[in-house]
Amino acid sequence: MNLPMYLKINLSTKKVSKFEIEEKLFRRYIGGKTLAAKLLYDMTPAGMDPLSEDSMMIINTGPGNGTGAPSSSRFNMTFKNLMTGGIASSNCGGSFGMMLKKAGYDGIILTGKADKPSHIEILDGEVSVQNAEHLWGMDTEKVQEEFPAHYGKIVIGPAGEHLVRYAGVLSGERVAGRCGAGAVLGSKNIKAVTAYGTKQPEVYNKQKFDKHVEKWVHFLQSHPMTGTSLPKYGSAGLVTKANATSALPTHNFQSGFYEKAEEISGETLADTKLIKNMGCISCPIRCERRVKVYDKDVKGPEYETVGLFGANIDSADLDMINEINYVADIMGMDTISLGGTIAFAMELKERGIADFGVSFGEVEQIPEIVKKISYREGIYSELANGSKWMAEKYGAEDAAIHAKGLELASYEPRKSVGMGLGYATSNRGGCHLNGGYLALLESVGVLSTNPLETKGKPELTVLMQNAMEAVSASGFCLFTAYSMIPSILFRLGPSHWFTKLCGKLLIWVRPVLGIMWKFMPWILPFNSMFLLPHAEALKQITGIRMTTGKFMQLGERGYNVERLYNYREGLTANDDNLPDRLTKVPQDKNPASVVRLDKMLPKYYKVRGWKEDGSPSAWKLWQLKIHL
Amino acid sequence: MSFFITDKCIGCTLCRKLCPVGAVEGNLKEQHRINEKRCVECGVCGRVCKQKAILDQDGKPVLEVPRSEWKKPVVIKEKCSACSMCVWNCTKNALKITEPAYQGDIRVFAELSDAKRCVGCGICASVCPLHAIHMEVGEF
Repeated sequence: MNLPMYLKINLSTKKVSKFEIEEKLFRRYIGGKTLAAKLLYDMTPAGMDPLSEDSMMIINTGPGNGTGAPSSSRFNMTFKNLMTGGIASSNCGGSFGMMLKKAGYDGIILTGKADKPSHIEILDGEVSVQNAEHLWGMDTEKVQEEFPAHYGKIVIGPAGEHLVRYAGVLSGERVAGRCGAGAVLGSKNIKAVTAYGTKQPEVYNKQKFDKHVEKWVHFLQSHPMTGTSLPKYGSAGLVTKANATSALPTHNFQSGFYEKAEEISGETLADTKLIKNMGCISCPIRCERRVKVYDKDVKGPEYETVGLFGANIDSADLDMINEINYVADIMGMDTISLGGTIAFAMELKERGIADFGVSFGEVEQIPEIVKKISYREGIYSELANGSKWMAEKYGAEDAAIHAKGLELASYEPRKSVGMGLGYATSNRGGCHLNGGYLALLESVGVLSTNPLETKGKPELTVLMQNAMEAVSASGFCLFTAYSMIPSILFRLGPSHWFTKLCGKLLIWVRPVLGIMWKFMPWILPFNSMFLLPHAEALKQITGIRMTTGKFMQLGERGYNVERLYNYREGLTANDDNLPDRLTKVPQDKNPASVVRLDKMLPKYYKVRGWKEDGSPSAWKLWQLKIHL
Repeated sequence: MSFFITDKCIGCTLCRKLCPVGAVEGNLKEQHRINEKRCVECGVCGRVCKQKAILDQDGKPVLEVPRSEWKKPVVIKEKCSACSMCVWNCTKNALKITEPAYQGDIRVFAELSDAKRCVGCGICASVCPLHAIHMEVGEF
């Protein structure tokens, strides 16, 4: 068995050391965000300032990275969250992860602070920290042109340099956007990390792995979601569905229906703006949009950006959405937190509380404002702190749409209450993916449970959170998990009686979903292409006898370690919350269109095996073999 | 054990220029050497060496092969998923993903777009997860 090799770089002392992850740790935590959460917990003290010299940034991969398995270029960045004070994990599909592995390492741990702007180069296993003063100030596009094209790169833009709290990290045009990874690198004076090597990652059983990959790719290509919808319309293809179910945030989450949604839909984007689709390395899904901005062929927006710079600020201008997306990328910023913060600023103006020069429906000036935020110019420095910070200064807390301090993604949870529970409980704050993405089973997917029904949502949220945690930890894209929903349901359509029955069935089986974690991993002692093919791939890559049950438990273990980190940093059940707008004010005349966290949270904690204060019980830690 | 350059080398730099992974180091008219950490044992260096100065991993001299007989990648379109593993791993930029045939066309695949750039290293074929590339001698 090949154990992961990590690099530890102390930027203050310039000391570089290598260490191998112990076999027991590897078997339990595998890699990516789950292993990184364990390392961050063990290697940093409680109460650490994420922008201090003592803070730690873990950049790592999962076993799948670089092997050629479908959609396996994702790498992870784990650090202390600038938005929430808890744990942060940010995921990216750029080439850096694959190249880091080819250079001989599975992860890098950065500590300390360089005395001047620096660039870390990892070349064929050798590490050097070089002067990058000449690169400081460059945008993310220009700075990447300074390095050879075939190098894997991660870079920060002006937003990271100026410590914008939601600054992201770019690898090519892909972004590790959420939670402020760019600012953490900026605080360490690191402008770029590059990696290049030529050694292919080893696979334990290459023959069986290749056969599995071949079947898996065909499975993904024949699935209506991963084989047709995502390549054709990208994630923006969800706009129409979300709007139809009133789950498209509009006017800073005051509504879930936008009358001009068709003008910003994935279908309209594909018909009028799309040059072609592309994909991350090793991805057969190829959901990336290519569009023209400033006469350049650039990456187009994801669903989140379309929603938050479209309906949520009352704009149906696709060209402007593309431009804002591009400017945010070259400045190095998370478009979700940026969009949520700008919408909040618009509402502050609407209420006559503060004027940041932004109003609903007026978007022409936003690209310039995005630049001002990234340089923290004048009053825009306040917007660089996010909506929670602004609400603490100006009030209007009900309109600051965040959970634990991280802005919500583009799903209106009052018409997708399970998604609301996910946002509230997500370890990294208001994140749809870490939150379990129940919107897929409520408002934007083919298989729909009643989006206002609270029964069964805690059980489904736990299931999805754990499954997605494990997929991410292994180095795969979460979109590969879409294929868990049987293709037949897409072919029958959402209104067919059988599809509706399946939706109801998901709620009926909640007692099983609730109790099964007590019997994990023994309850699922097999691997299946139709459930989570990732488990079989992991088995062939690592040689570990991975089953679907063990895979699900890996996700559960990761989720619990992240939770323990948050608890240590002072985040408790009180922080599993959403703004009053979403929990107390019905979206429409139906009084049930609110997120009833009071109903769902107790059940959620029970299914998780957590105590009332939101911390894992001793029994759960014993079952998961978590020793901290 | 990677490939090795003997003292027959006259430092013509041809292998250094063609090596797809930048594993050959050395100046003009000086004996070159191969960086073991980089070498992927593709044999490109040996195929262009007129001096037979390059030994393979078994210590045997690699024979020169005329450029017209170099194997080059042929993509089986039906198998290719356009995942771009080959394109990303080709440092010679000889491969690319085809352009869509019409607005909304999602059926694209990898192709050898610039045969002159290709040195026949075979890295593309070795990294293709679907074994959709095989190396052939032919007209490109």
